[in-house]
Amino acid sequence: MKRVEVKLNLEAVAPLLDVIKGAADDLGPALAVAPRVPDLDEDFSGEWKRELLAGQNSDIAAFLALFGPEFFISGMVPLDATNREAILRACSAVRLRLREKHLKSLGDEALESGEAPVTEMPELQHKAFAAYVFLATLQELIVQHLDPNGLE
Amino acid sequence: MRFAETKTKPNLRPSTATQELLADQWLVVVLDDPVNLMSYVVMVFKKVFGFDEMTARKHMLEVHEQGRSVVWVGGREQAEAYVFTLQQWHLTAVLESDEAR
Repeated sequence: MKRVEVKLNLEAVAPLLDVIKGAADDLGPALAVAPRVPDLDEDFSGEWKRELLAGQNSDIAAFLALFGPEFFISGMVPLDATNREAILRACSAVRLRLREKHLKSLGDEALESGEAPVTEMPELQHKAFAAYVFLATLQELIVQHLDPNGLE
Repeated sequence: MRFAETKTKPNLRPSTATQELLADQWLVVVLDDPVNLMSYVVMVFKKVFGFDEMTARKHMLEVHEQGRSVVWVGGREQAEAYVFTLQQWHLTAVLESDEAR
């Protein structure tokens, strides 16, 4: 099984974890994207949303597990076939939440290009933007090196 | 990881062959969102639908440039399952009746 160990810059990433965990905590009871359930039946719709939420919470738990005590010693995060999909989805969920919570005022063009006016941002928004970019980078890295569609 | 290996939605409704035969065609439509990366969307399309790289990129570009792409057409139950799976990946996916086209 292919495994990639990514060494992150502790000084750069550790300060972002609070804002990332804050967004992840917000997602505990809420879906990152309000789903359009293709049936108005209440039971069906409720079960649909509960199943999505259970999956989202499981993914986020797998993602947050990357940043345990070992990370704060070595800066390493292990990525492999057992966690790559959960981490990809969790990064997406947290990025959606970060945008909703902290970054909406920047506009989508600035977010897509990654060229937001960093020096003019309040500290919390600055951290949220850095976290948003960091999570995108992590996703790119997984897609590039551990593509779930690729061969093991 | 609860869902990664599944491509199914909650199984709440019985389906019969008769229903399937009589059913209209349903569209799985993915709408644009400002957050998910192009490479991520391509990867998800390949994973969920088994598209090759070129087909996945074509649909991703349709989503990006036209705001939506019809990624699958067929029976309702399978269409619902695809919508559910795409929503697990945090894409904005909806089910539409073929009659609306």
